[in-house]
Amino acid sequence: MILSRVADGLYWMGRYLERAENTTRLLLVTEEMSTEVHGLDEELARGEWRDLAEIFPGPPLPERAIRHVGGLAAATLQALTLASAHPNSVHYSLKRARDNARTVREALSVEVFVNLNETYQDLEAQAGRRLSDTPAFRSALSAAHRGILSTVGAIEHTLTRDPGWLFLRLGESTERLFRAATVLRIKLPGLVAPEPKVDLPLLHTRWRALLRGLSSLENFRQSYGARLEPLEVLHFLLFDARAPRSLRFGTTAVKEILDQLSAAGQPSAPARLMGRLAAELTYRSDEVIRRGEYLTFLDAVVDEVTKTHEALSTLYFGT
Amino acid sequence: MKWIASKAGFDEVFERGSAPRGHYASLISILESFTLEDVARRERLQRLALMNQGITFTVYGEKEGLERIFPFDFVPRIIPAGEWKQLQDGLVQRITALNLFLLDIYGDQKCLRDKVIPPELVLSRREYKRELRGVVPPRKIFTHVVGTDIIRDGEGRYLVLEDNCRVPSGVSYVLENRTLLNRVFPEFFASYPVRPINDYPSLLLDTLLHAAPRASQSPVTVVLSPGIHNSAYFEHSFLAREMGVTLVEGRDLLVEGNRVFMRRTHGKRQVDVIYRRVDDEFLDPLTFRRDSMLGVPGLLNVYRDGNVVLANAPGSGVADDKSVYAFMPALIKYYLDEDHLLPQVPTYLGFRRDDLRHITEHADTLVIKTTGDAGGYGMLLGPFAARKEIDAYLAQVRKNPGNYIAQPLVDLSSHPTHVEGRFEPRRIDLRPFILYGDRLRVLPGGLTRVALRPGSYVVNSSQGGGSKDTWVLAAREP
Repeated sequence: MILSRVADGLYWMGRYLERAENTTRLLLVTEEMSTEVHGLDEELARGEWRDLAEIFPGPPLPERAIRHVGGLAAATLQALTLASAHPNSVHYSLKRARDNARTVREALSVEVFVNLNETYQDLEAQAGRRLSDTPAFRSALSAAHRGILSTVGAIEHTLTRDPGWLFLRLGESTERLFRAATVLRIKLPGLVAPEPKVDLPLLHTRWRALLRGLSSLENFRQSYGARLEPLEVLHFLLFDARAPRSLRFGTTAVKEILDQLSAAGQPSAPARLMGRLAAELTYRSDEVIRRGEYLTFLDAVVDEVTKTHEALSTLYFGT
Repeated sequence: MKWIASKAGFDEVFERGSAPRGHYASLISILESFTLEDVARRERLQRLALMNQGITFTVYGEKEGLERIFPFDFVPRIIPAGEWKQLQDGLVQRITALNLFLLDIYGDQKCLRDKVIPPELVLSRREYKRELRGVVPPRKIFTHVVGTDIIRDGEGRYLVLEDNCRVPSGVSYVLENRTLLNRVFPEFFASYPVRPINDYPSLLLDTLLHAAPRASQSPVTVVLSPGIHNSAYFEHSFLAREMGVTLVEGRDLLVEGNRVFMRRTHGKRQVDVIYRRVDDEFLDPLTFRRDSMLGVPGLLNVYRDGNVVLANAPGSGVADDKSVYAFMPALIKYYLDEDHLLPQVPTYLGFRRDDLRHITEHADTLVIKTTGDAGGYGMLLGPFAARKEIDAYLAQVRKNPGNYIAQPLVDLSSHPTHVEGRFEPRRIDLRPFILYGDRLRVLPGGLTRVALRPGSYVVNSSQGGGSKDTWVLAAREP
């Protein structure tokens, strides 16, 4: 077993690394979507950026900068990529991941630290100045994304499967589940109850962007083919047993880690919370879809994940 | 390639007339085979490696979290086997005497009664912990790890400048510098029998375990660090990783039933040996500084009862006091009945009336230091100071003369150092590391610090210093 402080540091390193990956990916997807639809439906493009600001809340953008979609896009890209004061920017998350890694460095391998540090340093070198245009942002974000994935690869390839590793994965899985549930909660209202005049190809584009935002487009196609049937997408993102970003998969992943950390045969308080949620996601899927109760259900998921985080912090970190 | 010999002081590489000394000839010819572009490219690789590996230190007083890489100069310092032998013997003798001195002043205080050293000089020091009188650490070892600073005078004689008996730092750079030079200039190593140093972490662990109280079981060892904001945090984490032990901060430890435990996710675990990199004053708020957030309440009681080992033992700092230093030759004679092997710098003590007069009259030729400070803080370099500065400093000295010592400025030796395509002389010192376990061991090499500013004498990393790889050559078979 490991020091509570080290477990805490690894857990948050995992959360911030995963958060940085999520922000990076959603920025890239949103930017592409906004560029694609902006000429067709400016309000839709604007809505995509507003959703993103709701998923990753931070200080408000300057009024003047966001009058046009182009300005809104540029300001959001700047804030969520490089702003060191934005609590959800890629820069901030990577910095916090690295700060945590530095405090628990002896629990990590050189490969993990070096990959994370390099990724942070590369982005840090660009912070403080304004990137010139969208391609410059895309290139910085893509580089950060590659760096994050290679860090995750180093974690996978070089760390001993000990409790420290479990806490790192616990942070990662908790963050992933929380963020996926948040994305769905914010995006679904506009998707499942479209206004009557809605343009079908555009709606299709939005479902597609949702899947890509949760890096699930290819996974979905493998299961259901290229046609995007909203109910199928919904079922997939909430209840699929194998897709790594579905809520069911994510909840099961968190539960399994908590089970491994629990004493034999005695699920801990957070393990029980996740166990109950996993059962709901496994056995109540048809009912939720049939009754159209996604939104209350998603609220409950976000709520349970938050409670689980609090319970595991009290139990293991003494905070 | 342009090499410039030193005009003042001892030049480590060039003899008078600018021919390289024998043990540097191969290195220079290897370096001469590189183009300037090669050298520049390799130097870039080297900086990148340091930054990416996060081998950084924190500078106090600047904005929080400011990390700097510790500048590394790739021209290695080479110490021939014969010279090293002298240094090693002298250091072993010195650290042996230092330990006997500590054992004595925390015990019978014979040296004070025999007037080898004035009692008031020892007993008045903040570093002397009267609470610990009568506490004998396991195996009678106080200073498990010492870093002694060595300089060379104009004739190239090695002199002891000071001992660091509290929490000497820098050894991680010694190890990292070697790894780095191996990678960046592998060619250098082909023609030299360089003694390896990478077993230091395992020797350190052996040293710590040797002192463990529960020797029959498997003792639990930890490294205690003040935390990430300490300038040497990298080293604390490095040593913990290399030794395979847990790195803890004060808040990770707790005292219960006169035992020390660490807080873990699934219950607590008893700790036997603490390699503490926290100063005495901050170790235990119940005994020393009450405002310390870095320490562990009750730790000193556990130590006093022999239920945990602290390395180095609290109270060891008095042995590296700059005025105790002046008495080292006498103490070596007293405890070991031997003449001291390593010479040291003549020292004037503020508390002696005659010395004080000398200090005030000749301040412009002296280096004046406070007895307690380290790291180049609180020091006056007389020959380089303005009259006004000197007078202000002397006013402080007169208020509390016992807190000051003075030494003539020793013209440190110089070593060629790479500066934009040229090799210019820069002043250096040397900090060898000595471990006291089942016997005394000196790590072959040590930290060579280099004053990167031209003409500067200050080698401290906090004040613009860098470092070099330090090679001790194996004695070749005859």
